[in-house]
Amino acid sequence: MNRSWRDLVAVAVVAILVLLPLFGSAFFVEFVMTRTVILGLAASSIVFLSAYGGMVSLAQLLLFGIAGFMVGNAVGEAGSKGLKLGWNAWVAVVFALAVTVAVAALLGALSARTAGIYFLMLTLTYAVIGYYFFGQVTTFSGFGGITGIDAPPWFEGHPVRLYYVCVVLSVVTYVGLRLLVRSPFGMALQGVRDDPVRMASLGFNVALHRTLAFTFAGFIAGVAGVLNIWWNGQIDPTSISIGPTLDLLIIAVIGGIVHLEGAWLGAFVYVMANNYMRNLPFADTIGLTEARFNTVVGLLVLLIMLLSPDGLVGVILRIRTAATGLRGDGGSTSDDASDHQIATADGGPKGPPVPTHTREGSIR
Amino acid sequence: MTTEVTTPTSIEAADHVVRLRSIGVAFGGLRALDGIDLDVAPGERLAVLGPNGAGKTTLFNVIAGDIRPTTGSVVLCGRDCSHLPSHARPALGVARTYQKTRLFSNLTVEDNLYLAQTGRQRRHLALFVSERDRSLRERAREVAHRVWLGPMVDATVDGLSHGQRRQLEIGMALAAEPDIMLLDEPASGLSRGERERLSELIEALDPAITLLLIEHDMDVALRVADRVVVMADGIIIARGNPDEIRSNTLVHEVYLGREGGR
Ligand SMILES: Nc1ncnc2c1ncn2[C@@H]1O[C@H](COP(=O)(O)OP(=O)(O)OP(=O)(O)O)[C@@H](O)[C@H]1O
Ligand SMILES: [Mg+2]
Repeated sequence: MNRSWRDLVAVAVVAILVLLPLFGSAFFVEFVMTRTVILGLAASSIVFLSAYGGMVSLAQLLLFGIAGFMVGNAVGEAGSKGLKLGWNAWVAVVFALAVTVAVAALLGALSARTAGIYFLMLTLTYAVIGYYFFGQVTTFSGFGGITGIDAPPWFEGHPVRLYYVCVVLSVVTYVGLRLLVRSPFGMALQGVRDDPVRMASLGFNVALHRTLAFTFAGFIAGVAGVLNIWWNGQIDPTSISIGPTLDLLIIAVIGGIVHLEGAWLGAFVYVMANNYMRNLPFADTIGLTEARFNTVVGLLVLLIMLLSPDGLVGVILRIRTAATGLRGDGGSTSDDASDHQIATADGGPKGPPVPTHTREGSIR
Repeated sequence: MTTEVTTPTSIEAADHVVRLRSIGVAFGGLRALDGIDLDVAPGERLAVLGPNGAGKTTLFNVIAGDIRPTTGSVVLCGRDCSHLPSHARPALGVARTYQKTRLFSNLTVEDNLYLAQTGRQRRHLALFVSERDRSLRERAREVAHRVWLGPMVDATVDGLSHGQRRQLEIGMALAAEPDIMLLDEPASGLSRGERERLSELIEALDPAITLLLIEHDMDVALRVADRVVVMADGIIIARGNPDEIRSNTLVHEVYLGREGGR
C-alpha cells in the first residue's frame, strides 16, 4: 500500500518534469529546474551515504567539482585556462568520471576506518584541500577558474535537451539507488551503518564496504558535476569552497537526509528560494532581500531540524499518516519500514506487516 | 596449500579447534587477561564461569578477533590467527554473540538473520538479489522460529523487547552455522521459562559444534557443559567437569559463594 503510494508520487513527479517544457517558461525549465535537478542529483549522493551507510560526507561537492574541472581541462582549447587538451566532449566525460571515481576510491579508503564526527571532519578536510588545490595549482585551474567550456554539440541551441538528460539521469539514479539498497551489497551497507563491529564479526570487511559505497557516491556526484559544467559553461574553486559545500549538505537536510527523494525536493526548495524569494509579497517590507538569502535558508534549516529531523519528506509522510489515520484505514507504517518489507518480500509469502512493531519515522 | 595440509598444526587441529597460549590483554595498567592457556576439543561444550570483571568477555573478544591480545597466540582449527582480523574469522567457522546485544536496529529480524549468513557466504558484494538470497531469507525465517521470534520476523529490532533482542542475538550465531560458537551470557535478561527453553535449544545443537558458553546462571551452565573453566582477575583458577567444579572450595570462595549470596 505504502509502496504503491510512494511510487505513484514518484511517477507523478516524473510526469510533471517530463511535460514541464510544454507549459513552463524557458527560464524556469532551462535555468531553475535544470539547476534543481543537477543539485538534487549531487545531493542524492550525500543522502545515499548518510541514510544507508551512516556516513555524512562533506566531500561530495569536491567530487562534483573534480568532474567539472576535469571536463574543463579536457575539452578546453586555446584561450581558456587549464590543460587545454582540446579533446572530444564525450571522451572528456569518460576521463572526468574516471578521475572522479579514482579520487573517490582513494579518499574513501583513507576515511573508511573513521566514523561519525571524525568522518565528517575528514571529508571537510578533503573539501578544503580540494579548494586550495584547484586555486593554487594553475596547471589545472587557478582561482580565476576555467571559462568558456562548451557542452557537446548535440546540446548546442537546445538547452531543453540538457534539462531532459538531467531528468533522465536523476530518475535512473533514484531507481538505481532504491534497487541497490535492497541488494545484498545494500543490505550489508545498512548493517555497517547500524553496527560495524557486529558486521566485522559476521565476516564482512567493513572498510571495503565503506570504501565501495563512497566510491559509488563519488560517481553519482561526478555525473552531476559533468552535467553542471555543461549547463554552467564555467567552474572556479569558489564554487567548491566551504560555503557551497555546506549548501549541498543543507539541501540534503531540507529535503530529509534519510529519504532519497528528499535530495531533489531539498534542491527544489533551495533553488526556488534562491530565485524567487524576492518576488514574495511583502518581501521588501520584511527585509527579504537577496543579500539575506543565507539568513533565510539558515532559519529554514533550523526550523526543519527542530520540527522534522527527516526534513520535508518527513513532513509529507506525517501529513499522510495523519490523513490515513483520520480516514481510519490504519496500517500506516512509515515509508522506510515499508521499504524493508519490500526488501523481504522476496523471501516468500507472508501476511500483512505488523504495524505495532514496524519502525516509525526515519532510517537512522 | 600442500604445506598447510601436512603441517603438524593441522594434525593437532584434530584434537583442538581452539588453542590459546599465554594470552595476555592489558587495558592501560589493567591486566584483563594474564597468561591464559586453553585448549578446546572439537564438539566440546565448555562453560566459562567467573565473577564480574574476571575477563570472560575479553577472552571471547580475543578468540573472535575483536581484540588483539597484547601477548600470546590464538590458533583456530590449526591455523595461527593471532594477526587475523575479526572479519576473516567467520570463514574458519567462528560465530559469537555479544553480552550487550549488537544488532542492526533499523533492520528487521529477518534482515538481521539474513546478514548473519551472508558474511560467511561471500554474497555481500552482490548487486542483485538472486535465488540464493531468497533461500538465505527462507533460512533466516526458520532461524527466527527456532529462537521463538517467528511472529516478529518482519518487525525491526527497534520494536523488540529486551528479551526478544537476546533471542535474536542467539539467532545471529545460529544462523551463521558455525563450527565454533561463542555465547556470551545468552540467558541474561531472560525469564525462567525462557532460560529453560534456551538450555533445551543449546542441548539440542548439532554435537559437532564446539561451544564456549559464558553464563552466570549456574543451572544453565552446568547443565549444558561437559567441562568448565573458572576465571578470576584475568587468570583461570579452576578447570574440571561440572561435578568437580561444584565441589571445588576455591571456586565456592571466589564465585559460587558470592553468587549464591544473591
Ligand atoms: N575495552 C576495554 N577497555 C578498558 N578496560 C576494559 C575493556 N574491556 C574490558 N575491560 C576491563 O577488563 C576487565 C575484564 O572485563 P570483561 O568484560 O572481560 O569481564 P567479564 O568477565 O566479561 O565480566 P562480566 O561478568 O561483568 O561480563 C574488567 O575490569 C573491565 O573493566
Ligand atoms: Mg562479560
